[in-house]
Amino acid sequence: MGSTRSWLGVVAQAWRIRLLTMLEYKANFFMWFAFTIAYHGVAVAALGATLYNFPSLAGWNFREIAFLYALWMLGHSTHNLFFFSVGDVPVYVQEGTFDRFLVRPRDVLFQIVTVPNQQWPDELALAIVWFVFATWYAHVAVNWVFLLAVPLIVLGGVLIDLAVSLMVATVSFWFVRVDTLRWVVMSLEQEFTRYPVSIYTRGVRILMAYVLPYAFMNYFPAVYFLHKSDQGLTVVPWLGLLAPLVGGVWFAAAYGFWRVGLNRYQGTGS
Amino acid sequence: MIHLAPYLQFASKAFQREATYRVEVLSEIGSLVLRVYLIRALWTALYAHNPAPPDLPLHAIITYSTVALLLSLIFEVDGTRQLREKLRLGTIATDLLKPISIPGFLFSDGLGMTLLHAMTVIPSLLIALLLVHVDRPAGAGAAAAFLAAFALGYAVNFLLNFCMNCVAFWTLETFALQLVVRWLSDLLSGAIIPLAFFPGVFQSVVLHLPFAAVYSTPLLIYLGLLRGQQVGHALLEQLAWLLAFAALAALAWSRGRNRVVVQGG
Repeated sequence: MGSTRSWLGVVAQAWRIRLLTMLEYKANFFMWFAFTIAYHGVAVAALGATLYNFPSLAGWNFREIAFLYALWMLGHSTHNLFFFSVGDVPVYVQEGTFDRFLVRPRDVLFQIVTVPNQQWPDELALAIVWFVFATWYAHVAVNWVFLLAVPLIVLGGVLIDLAVSLMVATVSFWFVRVDTLRWVVMSLEQEFTRYPVSIYTRGVRILMAYVLPYAFMNYFPAVYFLHKSDQGLTVVPWLGLLAPLVGGVWFAAAYGFWRVGLNRYQGTGS
Repeated sequence: MIHLAPYLQFASKAFQREATYRVEVLSEIGSLVLRVYLIRALWTALYAHNPAPPDLPLHAIITYSTVALLLSLIFEVDGTRQLREKLRLGTIATDLLKPISIPGFLFSDGLGMTLLHAMTVIPSLLIALLLVHVDRPAGAGAAAAFLAAFALGYAVNFLLNFCMNCVAFWTLETFALQLVVRWLSDLLSGAIIPLAFFPGVFQSVVLHLPFAAVYSTPLLIYLGLLRGQQVGHALLEQLAWLLAFAALAALAWSRGRNRVVVQGG
């Protein structure tokens, strides 16, 4: 399996290739950066224009919604930077290119994570800038709890994102076409996280909190930092601080499911 | 004299081609359920805690958003995207030798694809109706004007896409740029929120940008927010954008085809 050093060597090599690609296609990099800005800019502008007309969304004002978005953006863009290619597994399975990962002498998930792709740190950089702004804008108290908790919440968010995409990837071993599932998951993750979970009906709230726990990426932590007294399933005010724990548990479960799926995939390989 | 027969064939071929991707079409309808649910949850929550705008009660905004979503099933089909691929792969060279008009081909191919996606509007609407109440058009006149505005919007949308894809004549790599424009136009066309939600001066600018001709105008007519003379003016404005973009598209096409650079290999 190789020593830790050789594993790190592969990671370093993968990042070197990414960086070189970025430097080689500068114009392309800037165009995609413009896209990243447009994507998040349009989302925030639509929220801003809406809350300009309707100042309260279930008790949340635009400043608070901006912070909610920033927390999600931080976790989501960190996930994209390191683990984006996990979401491509269903495509690999469909196209039959997945099999090549199985014959190489490295862990399959490790290989997938280090596939050279065009995920650059531009989105994360933008997320950090927006998060710093939104923290100030929403008057969030920056104390030692905040400074300690935010990195852990981001870690939790990354693990939640990763756990769900790993589960979808594993489902694709059984059902090759998982487009609908991917759409549903993507929509829940990208669109439903923009608003406080308390606006949804009970079933969707439970889904967002305890099944695909996206609410731990931003909603529950935001409830804690903004001192919102909320009806949206918040059992205790500090529930959001459990994000890394929830992320860890969900990732462990997803990884177990992935191992089972991988064995089964190998078993049926033709 | 242009013969229409081949173009009808192109449209019918595109229709059949799209029809083979049933799973995609189904997942499109599936994701629509979530979006309609989101529309209901969001606007219900917003109207519960804030005074409603005088001319836009809750049922009107839900109708607006749902009809916009159904329109997007049609407007998001981009037949002209093939132009970018043809330029990238170099197959444009053989297409230029054929005795057909390529813009005409792209339009009829896109129309064929659109017709298939238009068929999903009915089941999508039925599913949406399980979750929300959608108002009927504000009268028979409004319905007829809505159809006219929709047709004009479709043409403007086609020409906008065509012009965007013509950029590939000059830069070859245009995908990111196109996505930027697509995202901005979703916001500025009124596909996500009514343009009346934009503040002050910004609103009056946005209302008269070409993007508004695609979603906003048909939707405002549907809801009866434009009446009488306003409808006529709005349709004329759409027509003006249509002609302006037709001229721009013709210019881009004639300049572009003269400088086709086919990538080697």
